Amino acid sequence: MKRFITLFGVLSLLFSLQFVGGGFEAFAAGTGAGDTFIDHASKGLETFWNFTGFHNVHFTHLIMIGVGLFFIFLAIKYDYEPLLLVPIGTGVILGNVPFLEGYKIGLYEEGSVLNYLYFGVQQGVYPPLIFLGIGAMTDFSSLISNPKLMILGAAAQVGIFATFLGASAMGFTPQEAGAIGIIGGADGPTAIFLSSKLAPTLMGAIAIAAYSYMALVPVIQPPIMRLIIPKRERLIKMKPPRAVSKTEKIMFPIIGLLLTTFISPSALPLLGMLFFGNLLKESGVTERLADTARNAMINIVTILLGITVGASTQADYFLTTDSLKIFGLGAVSFMVATAGGLIFARLMNLFLKGDNKINPLIGAAGVSAVPDSARVVQHEGLKNDPNNHLLMHAMAPNVSGVIGSAVAAGILLSFLM
Amino acid sequence: MNLLIVDSMTWTITVLGWFIVFVALVFLIGVFLTVPKILTWGTRRALRKKNRMAKKEVVIDDELVITGETNAAIAMALHLYFNEQHDEESNVITIKEVKKRYSPWSSKVYSFNNVNFPR
Repeated sequence: MKRFITLFGVLSLLFSLQFVGGGFEAFAAGTGAGDTFIDHASKGLETFWNFTGFHNVHFTHLIMIGVGLFFIFLAIKYDYEPLLLVPIGTGVILGNVPFLEGYKIGLYEEGSVLNYLYFGVQQGVYPPLIFLGIGAMTDFSSLISNPKLMILGAAAQVGIFATFLGASAMGFTPQEAGAIGIIGGADGPTAIFLSSKLAPTLMGAIAIAAYSYMALVPVIQPPIMRLIIPKRERLIKMKPPRAVSKTEKIMFPIIGLLLTTFISPSALPLLGMLFFGNLLKESGVTERLADTARNAMINIVTILLGITVGASTQADYFLTTDSLKIFGLGAVSFMVATAGGLIFARLMNLFLKGDNKINPLIGAAGVSAVPDSARVVQHEGLKNDPNNHLLMHAMAPNVSGVIGSAVAAGILLSFLM
Repeated sequence: MNLLIVDSMTWTITVLGWFIVFVALVFLIGVFLTVPKILTWGTRRALRKKNRMAKKEVVIDDELVITGETNAAIAMALHLYFNEQHDEESNVITIKEVKKRYSPWSSKVYSFNNVNFPR
């Protein structure tokens, strides 16, 4: 055996020697390929080089890859919305790896795998599925026990309409302004849903802005809270919410679905799925379906949504002055929405008496961004009084913010489509 | 940014849109303030009747609403009750003999090398 291997090795060495030092020509002559072999080889290498990312790279690609890496860093290091930022960050990297166009590789090339996955974003399929999962995991009992807190969810939607106005003033078309305005709703799926209908070209920037600011809620909101709410009002203790019966919990999604969709039918896919998911949860007889909706399904859709939204930020489409304007407007809209909720909560307190008074900090949770903004409220409440737990109370405006932003999206859609 | 270039339609959408969101949610608030009253209507009526018969003045709303503290107290009491049930044991001590089933895995027979033994 050893002899056989040695013999085979020597023979192959002798065979390969002819390629060294002009052996190519000898080989080419031998095979009748003429002097074109080197040409072919160099041409092949050149084609290969043209296909590589190193040849097609532009500095804009590198900037976007840096952004993607930054998202992943924020998610891993600071735990900012990791379930969203890791897929989106990876998607940004994926969408900005340079390639030769025309071979069904990129997200915007028809027939490519990424393009097929992007279909769910373009046609607004993923956001309602996400809402189904959110409905199946949300407990609306704090809202049912104290429905007046729902008004804070409406007040915080001022961010959407103020941004709509601001974007129009900056020269965006009404449709584009509407899509940008929804960033103030602090609701990723709603932002994607509306922008896919009103301004598909801006969707990447809008989605990235919406998710980035949602992740930055713990940074954006606290200073505004401290600025608007005086110390003594931050110390207000709210009475515990009453116990909600099972019948009320079952009736909530049915009545909510009928009322909100009758007022704003354009938001039917979002609100319909949200309340359907909640009915699955609360009915008590469809636990298997509710379990799938709030775990496996929402996870799958989040992965697909995150990766495709991230990949939609190809540098040539994304790095424009419009994107910068959108980011600026997005930040302002988050601040306006937070301030709107807080100021309205203070106004409400003027009409409430005794132990019915609310802690105005919970107004900040009206911006949606479930459950991060409610968590921020809890954190701020505890900072001022370590015995003041506001999480349950903040969840009421928080979930009503989801309903409010979906209704607002429906209104914008019906006005601007 | 120039607000003067904003047309009247945009202003209309801004004001009207926010107003509709408010109306929609105020409508929901109205409904959800009414629903519990409808649901407790029967119980309320029965309580009122009972109180009238007992000739006592009691605020019925207090009897209908269970606060979070009450719920927590009930939950704690149930928890303690079910946990303490463990302490009421039968006092019968049974010693079970430990029986080991034969397993070839630890058998010594297989640890000897029998190759050189004549057969």
